[in-house]
Amino acid sequence: MNRFSATKLLLQNAGDAPLVSNLGPTSDELWHASAGRARNFYCYGSMGLCSSIALGMALSTDEKVVSLDGDGSLLMNMGTLATIGREQPPNLIVVVWDNEQWGQTGFQPTHTAFGTDLEQVGASCGIPKTATARDEEDLVGVFRQALDEPGPWLIVAKVEEEGYLPVAPVEPEMTLYNFRQSFGVGGV
Amino acid sequence: MNWAETIVQALKDGDVSLIAYVPDISIYQVTKLMEEDDYFHVVAATREEEAIGIASGAYAAGRRAAVFMQSSGFGNCVNALASLCIPYRIPLPMFINLRGEVGEFNLAQVAMGRVTRPILDALALTHYTLESHDRLQRRVSGALTLCYASRQPLALCMTPMLHGGKIA
Repeated sequence: MNRFSATKLLLQNAGDAPLVSNLGPTSDELWHASAGRARNFYCYGSMGLCSSIALGMALSTDEKVVSLDGDGSLLMNMGTLATIGREQPPNLIVVVWDNEQWGQTGFQPTHTAFGTDLEQVGASCGIPKTATARDEEDLVGVFRQALDEPGPWLIVAKVEEEGYLPVAPVEPEMTLYNFRQSFGVGGV
Repeated sequence: MNWAETIVQALKDGDVSLIAYVPDISIYQVTKLMEEDDYFHVVAATREEEAIGIASGAYAAGRRAAVFMQSSGFGNCVNALASLCIPYRIPLPMFINLRGEVGEFNLAQVAMGRVTRPILDALALTHYTLESHDRLQRRVSGALTLCYASRQPLALCMTPMLHGGKIA
């Protein structure tokens, strides 16, 4: 599965749902697929915190919130799966793009290349709805189900690393401002 | 009101209703009050930088959030502050219990306690040290106002002179 193509498919189904994207190519690809979408929160640092940020959002709105995380990032902060299991936010959907490598730092294999199964980790943490998708059809099917049914959801999407798009010209401060405005929040 | 009740009331007055924390015996005096109060949603995090991520996400979705942690755990937070809260301008009140202060009995707590405020200075983040109940409501409420006006994280460092510390 190609991550950029899969990202566009998720966007076609996500409606206005708030999306949080992990740093690096995941954020770049989300921007190239949907620049100007106010409900994209692009991480440009804070590796590991993508799904924690999405958890905080899910605890603050009734809308479905989607995290687009990565295997390397989630491995850095696996404790947040336990916190999601403890909090049980029904409106949180965590999608993990699992390419089994730290792509941007030179394609070093991550622990998921050696048997760590993030879906099983999430299930062990008490996340009630989990899946692993290996092609676009699987992914879209389970993603639509996740949008319709209470979660929390953890969807591990196995992807291939197939080159990078140009770095997105994201301004962090404007990202936050536009995102908050979309929730009707005025001022600070 | 005692010191813990004063902090809880200041948070309510500041419309701060989501709390993410990693426990500490002293800040427990505050977090247990909030857990008993329906106004707050109190989230136990597994690690301090995770608490910062959760609180930042809440703010992004329009809800004010604060974090509670010990100085040792503040050491786990530097990148989350430097690469998330500061560049995105996320106002985040951080209540940090300073270990390594008067009465400290644990050698391993001393160094991180000592460097907590210098690290905040290096990040150019405002911090205040709370050492007594004197004008505490005004200090905390004023700090919250400044935090949201400046749209940067701000730390309130709590000491044994405020809360009595941990008895070995």
